[in-house]
Amino acid sequence: MNKKIFLHLRKRSSVVVLLFFFLLSSFVSVSLRANAAEAPVQPTAGVELPQFEAGKAQSPEGKVTEGAGTGTAAVEEEEAGPVQYRTFFGIDSRLIVWIVSELHLMFAAFVLGVPIFAVIVEIVGFKGGDIRYDKMAKEFTKLLSAAFATTASLGGLLGFCLFGLYPEFMSHMTNVFAPTMYVYALMFFGEAFTLYGYYYSWEILKNSAAKKWFHIFLGILLNLFGTGLMFITNSWATFMMSPAGVVPATGKVLSLYHAFYNPLWMPVNIHRLIANVCFGGFIVGAYAAVKFLGSKSQEEKAHYDWMGYVGNFIGVGALIPLPFAGYWLGREIYSTSPVMGNIMMGGAFSWTFIIQAVLIGFLFIGANYYLWLGMSRIKGSERYTGYIKFLTMIVFMCFAVWLTPHNLPLSGEERAMIGEQYHPFSKYFGVMAAKNAVVNLIILTTFFSFLIYRRSNKGDMVPFSEQGKVGKIGIMAGVVFCLLMLVSYAVSLNFVELEANMKVFVKPLIRCLYIQAFTICLAAFLTFKNKGKLGQALLFIVTPCIAVLYFWYYGFEVMQKANLVLRYLSVTQVSIVMSCLIMNAVIDIFMFRKAKLVGGIEWGKMPVRSQYALLLLCVVIVILMGLMGFIRSGLRMDWHIYGVLQDTSQWAYTPSLAYMGRVVGLIVALFLGLVTFVFWLANLGDKKEKAKGYEGNEIDTHSEESH
Amino acid sequence: MAKKRSPYLLVKVIFAVVCLFLFLKYAAPKVFQVLMAKEHLMPTPSTLMMWYMIMGVLAGLVYATTSNQKFADFLGFLLPEKGAMVKSFIRKMLFFAFPVIIGWFVYTWSIPGAASPVELRIQHPTLPQEFEKMENPFRNTDAETQRKCIEEGKILFQTNCRPCHGSKADGNGPFANSFRLRPINFQDPGTIATVVDNYLFWRIKEGGPGLPSEATPWDSAMPAWKDDLKDDEVWKIIMGEYDTAGVMPRQREKTE
Repeated sequence: MNKKIFLHLRKRSSVVVLLFFFLLSSFVSVSLRANAAEAPVQPTAGVELPQFEAGKAQSPEGKVTEGAGTGTAAVEEEEAGPVQYRTFFGIDSRLIVWIVSELHLMFAAFVLGVPIFAVIVEIVGFKGGDIRYDKMAKEFTKLLSAAFATTASLGGLLGFCLFGLYPEFMSHMTNVFAPTMYVYALMFFGEAFTLYGYYYSWEILKNSAAKKWFHIFLGILLNLFGTGLMFITNSWATFMMSPAGVVPATGKVLSLYHAFYNPLWMPVNIHRLIANVCFGGFIVGAYAAVKFLGSKSQEEKAHYDWMGYVGNFIGVGALIPLPFAGYWLGREIYSTSPVMGNIMMGGAFSWTFIIQAVLIGFLFIGANYYLWLGMSRIKGSERYTGYIKFLTMIVFMCFAVWLTPHNLPLSGEERAMIGEQYHPFSKYFGVMAAKNAVVNLIILTTFFSFLIYRRSNKGDMVPFSEQGKVGKIGIMAGVVFCLLMLVSYAVSLNFVELEANMKVFVKPLIRCLYIQAFTICLAAFLTFKNKGKLGQALLFIVTPCIAVLYFWYYGFEVMQKANLVLRYLSVTQVSIVMSCLIMNAVIDIFMFRKAKLVGGIEWGKMPVRSQYALLLLCVVIVILMGLMGFIRSGLRMDWHIYGVLQDTSQWAYTPSLAYMGRVVGLIVALFLGLVTFVFWLANLGDKKEKAKGYEGNEIDTHSEESH
Repeated sequence: MAKKRSPYLLVKVIFAVVCLFLFLKYAAPKVFQVLMAKEHLMPTPSTLMMWYMIMGVLAGLVYATTSNQKFADFLGFLLPEKGAMVKSFIRKMLFFAFPVIIGWFVYTWSIPGAASPVELRIQHPTLPQEFEKMENPFRNTDAETQRKCIEEGKILFQTNCRPCHGSKADGNGPFANSFRLRPINFQDPGTIATVVDNYLFWRIKEGGPGLPSEATPWDSAMPAWKDDLKDDEVWKIIMGEYDTAGVMPRQREKTE
């Protein structure tokens, strides 16, 4: 009986989902109205606020004009001055803008991230002659075109909300950025035309190489327009944090170029560009997981298993450089304003960074877990599964250090027993030197997981010396690239402008870069002598010794005596780790180039829990984006434009962690619900076709699934 | 290749988690006492204990489910098996111990007791805007003036700050033991070395009473010095304090 009801509900699931969201939105709307009505107006601490309320306007002297908002009051309102703030049908304006902008950003991240790898996958398919890649790239783009309209609609809604609810602030922004807004609108046309052109011409432009290249060109154009759009909007957002090119007191524009290219513009551009790819990869992975779980044929399962793998690969690939980009952004925020930097890492937002640490930890664990589970579908992986226990230990130990806060929540009794402010765990694990060290170790471990996954299917190798010129050129190219990166940076460190007492702290960094450069050369030499594995092992030993252990210790010393050197230390650390990843990957590719295959990969034979790992990764990255959006925007505190235009509305206070958690949770639920609905719509057309295709080909999924 | 079976995987995972607990509870406090040359144990804070244990359990579960074979072995231990005496004994022990441990946790968490609340601390409350743009007037002077200021600052520090913060700025002044929250050890690289000069200026001028609402009142017993010390004296104290502690203030960086 229950089963029948369940099956009936499954058939009606879409209706149920829609009904649920309708009820949820009604409930939220009603409860917010109720809260807005009940909540007293609280002025922000430390700032004398004009009391704006719905139906009241403020005179230039700050006095509230009673009766504004009524018909007669309209004239008085005009006399009293322009309206600064409005409410959204009685609901908190900030909340509305927060939700709409975050939803818009999430869809935009997907729409901008996916074309980057869709085009790459298409090129790979075209060059390699594998039709599966082409099919997958098209499927990515199908999701894209469905999400694009929602992104645009949300963008329009956001624009209306901003101009309607924050007229004075938007007037200021328009005053500064009006010329760029026209460019934005024109580029949006370009994005729309190339996106739909790219998707709808897929079948038409695949019959000849010239047509295919033209199609790929369309895809590249689409990416250029998308990236351009993001760069323009980023300048508006970053101007609010680090305004430049204007007179702070009057807001008069002195240089549009400097307002546009403000100090935080490029760090945010780079961070968002990488994060979008990561976000898109994990969303695609989750889409594939859902399709995998609902697959009725082995062929379908194999396809979506592979798609999920690619999604995860892209997500993890982009996740690896993300902490470096984030660190750069953080440093630039600190350089822009020590106040923003302080409240970000040690003040009101420090606990949100602990939440961020947990989420990033889950991303790395989930990605590694998926790779380890994926090894079970590869014959020959048994040779490497012994490493998993050590990798698990390293990943979790790094995670433990990564999330240990410098300021532990302690009871009075514990403080008394410890006898000082900091317990050794928080003292040595809680500062940036430790965090940077372990995040590099997690990245190296994740890379190692990928390496053993990749090798699982590979058997006897052809000696490198017998592989011809291609391998040798490849290795040499890797060496030259790494040496250029390491040595050029080492040389540039000799000329940094620092006082003599600080410059001595740069010397060890230079030495470390040279040691790593020497190790790279040695690894290449060993590969030429058919001892590539030894070369890789050498890199895996030297790199953690320098970038993790030594820099963990040295970071403390630099923190105490020469904080200006921290910037160079972190770049050195990144360069050393990156050179290890690049050189190891190059050696692995060429060493196993002609290796015998052990037994192939059985796509589709994946434990069900692996698909839940993909879903977890998707949910985590969405929460992470919601949280980081809050932090980036919230750092301005009670300023619309930091130091230039103050937020004098009644919502100018920094929300509590609990309130932030509820709102971000709501945004995540709304986004996941919307994206599910949009993808469901995108697949409606395929359903009948597939049902015909797989008719008579159905299998008992339960017997096939491995639990 | 035949897959390697691990019939005692569940026991191994439990053993690893128990070892972690014993290390955090008993070994780590002793290790830190020795390493840090303390006269007393350095117990692991309860919050960290909980977090690390959760991670330990999670790591065990992740490892045990990384393949179908491991997962089957992990759960298979709980199933009855003929003839395996040792296994049977351990299984019975587990069935007995599990509810006992859960019961013990519930009991210890629910018995009434008096304890001060555990609070989320804000290490660096937001520096008020009026202090952000301030510059130490003596930092960019010639070497001789700076040296003179540091010496004057050290004297002022020893006169006014030493009773709590100690003569070496290590938080071990004669009054330090009388505070529940001990004065900060400025030699620790995670303290004054991470903030700019003017942050200290604000903290010295306003003290504990000037902390914003997000920082709890018991986070600092520091008095407000604004009525007792002139601005110049405060800047000199800051210079003397950094010198005494052997660390440098965070320096402003140029944006790229």
